[in-house]
Amino acid sequence: MSKILIIDDDLDILETMGSLLEAEGFQIHSAETVEKGLEMIETIAPDLVLLDVMFPEKKTRGFEAAAQIKAGHPKLPLFLLTAINREYAFDFNKEDVPAEEFLNKPVKIDRLVKLIRNYI
Amino acid sequence: MASKIESSEYTELSRVTGWFVVLRWIAFAGVAGTLGAVRLLGLFELPFALLFAITSLLGLLNLSFTAWLRLGRRAVPSRRQTAAFFHAQIVCDFALLFLLVYFTGFLENPFCTFFVFHILMSAFIFSSRVVYAYVGALVAMVTGAFLAEYLGLIPHFQLWSRGGSAAAASYLGQNLPRAAGLVSLLLISAYLITSIKRRLEEKGQRIEVELDRYRNLDKIKSNFILQVTHELRGPIAAVSGYHQMLLRGLGGESPPKSLDIVRKAEHRTDNLLTIIDEMIDYAYMKSQGEVGRVRGRLPLRGAIEENLELLETQAAAKRITLAANCPKDLCVSATRDLLKIILGNLVHNAIKYSPPGGRVSVTAQGEGREVHLLVSDQGYGIEPEELDKIFEEFYRTRAARQLERDGTGLGLPIVKRAVESLAGRMSVYSELGKGSTFHIFLPALEATDEQDPDHR
Repeated sequence: MSKILIIDDDLDILETMGSLLEAEGFQIHSAETVEKGLEMIETIAPDLVLLDVMFPEKKTRGFEAAAQIKAGHPKLPLFLLTAINREYAFDFNKEDVPAEEFLNKPVKIDRLVKLIRNYI
Repeated sequence: MASKIESSEYTELSRVTGWFVVLRWIAFAGVAGTLGAVRLLGLFELPFALLFAITSLLGLLNLSFTAWLRLGRRAVPSRRQTAAFFHAQIVCDFALLFLLVYFTGFLENPFCTFFVFHILMSAFIFSSRVVYAYVGALVAMVTGAFLAEYLGLIPHFQLWSRGGSAAAASYLGQNLPRAAGLVSLLLISAYLITSIKRRLEEKGQRIEVELDRYRNLDKIKSNFILQVTHELRGPIAAVSGYHQMLLRGLGGESPPKSLDIVRKAEHRTDNLLTIIDEMIDYAYMKSQGEVGRVRGRLPLRGAIEENLELLETQAAAKRITLAANCPKDLCVSATRDLLKIILGNLVHNAIKYSPPGGRVSVTAQGEGREVHLLVSDQGYGIEPEELDKIFEEFYRTRAARQLERDGTGLGLPIVKRAVESLAGRMSVYSELGKGSTFHIFLPALEATDEQDPDHR
C-alpha cells in the first residue's frame, strides 16, 4: 500500500484529507509541524508528500521545507497545497519551488487522487 | 584620478558617451566647415595648416572614442574604466578647443566662450568637486596663457588687426576685460550648473523616499491580502473536506435526504470560494494602480490548459466539454495571476451559464501585433440591453440572479481591469439561446523581447 505523508498545521485538514485519501486506499501519515514531517520522511519513507505552505512560524515555511525535502530526496514526489490561490500574495515564482504539483485548497478529492496516481 | 561618477547605470553612461560622440562629430563638422569657409573667403590670416591638423586630431580622437564605445558594448567596462574614459574625453576636448582658440586670436575669438559647454558636459557626469577642479584648471590655463602672451613668452595670433604684433599696452587694454569676462563666465556657469544639479538631486531623493514608502505600502497590502485569503479560504477548505467525507460515507451511511443537504451545502461553499476570490481580486486590481508587478513572458497554451484543468470537475458535473486551441509557441506578456483572473472567470461563467451537455472553448491565435483570445460557449446568451452593463461593477444580469442567488457582480469588471492592465482590450458578442463569445486582444510579444532587455 502506498504511503502518503501529509504535513499541515491545520488539524481539520489533516483529518479530512487523511480520511478521504485513506478511503481511496492509501496509507496515511500526518504531521502538524514541518520539523515532525521532515523527521517522518526519514522514518516512514513515504511514497508521496503533501505539504502546506503557510505555517504559524512563517508564511513561506512550506517553500523552505520543499527545498529541504528535495535536497535529501530529489525523487520523492511532493505536492504543495495552499489556501492562497494568487501568486501576488507571495513573493515567489511557482517555477522556483521544487514541487511536482502546486494545488490550492480546498481541492476536490477526485482531482487530488487523479494527480497522485500520476506519480505513485 | 579617483573620481566619483554620478550616473549609476552603465547603460545610461554608455548612452551619454554615445551622445557626446555625436555632439563631437557636429563640433568637428562645424570647426572644419568654419575654417574652410574662412580660408576660402580669405577673411583672416590664420595658421590654417596647423588648425586643420588640430581639427583632424579631433576627428581621429572621436573615431577612437567610437571604437572604444563599440568595444565597450561587448565587454562591460568597470566604473573605473568608464570614469577614466570620460576624463580622457573631457581633457582631450579641453586641450583641442584651447589650441584651436589659441591659434585663432585666443581672447579675441568669440568662440573662446565655448569652454562653457565642456563644463556643462562634465557636470553631467561628474560630481561638483570634479567640475570645480576642471574649471580651476581651465581658469589657470586661460590666465596663464593671457599672462604669457602679455609678457611675450608665447606669440599672440591676432584675429582682427592686419599683421604685426600689437603693442603691449593695447593688448592689455583690449584683452584684460575679455579674460576677466571669460573667467567669470566659466566660474558662474560652474556654480549655476552644480547648484541646479544639487537641486535636481534633492528632488530625486525626495522621489526615492516617496517610492520607498509606496513600495512599503505595497508590501503591507500584499501581506494583508495573503492573510485575508488564508483566513477565509483555510476554514472553507476544512468545511469542504468534511462535506466530501460525508458525501463519501466516511461518517457512516447517510440517508439520501441528508446527502442532498450536504451536496447543497457544498455547492454554497463553492460559491463562497468564488466570491472570496472575486472580492480579493477586486481589492487587488483596484489598489494596483499603474505600478504592477513586472510581467514575464508567459506561454499561453500552458496557462490555458492549467486554468481549464482547474475547472474540469465543474464542467464534468454538467457534462460540458472544455476545449483548448492554442499554437504551441504563442506567448503573452502577463503574470499567471492575471491570466488566471481572466481565463478562470470567463470559463467559469461559460460553464455556469450553459445548459448541460454543451461545449466551452478557449481559442488563441496571433493576429499581427496582437494575440486574439476567444472564450465561447453555447449557453443561454446575454440579453442585448444588458450587454453593455455586464462590465459595470456589481451588476448582475436578470438571468444570473435567477440562476444563482450568490454572486458579487464583480467577475467581468475584474476581467476587464486585468485585460486593461495588460494593455489589452476586450469585447463580447452574444446571441440569446445560442451562446456568448468574449474576445480579448493582448499585445503580442516582440521577437526582441526574448533577450534580456538590460543587456545591450
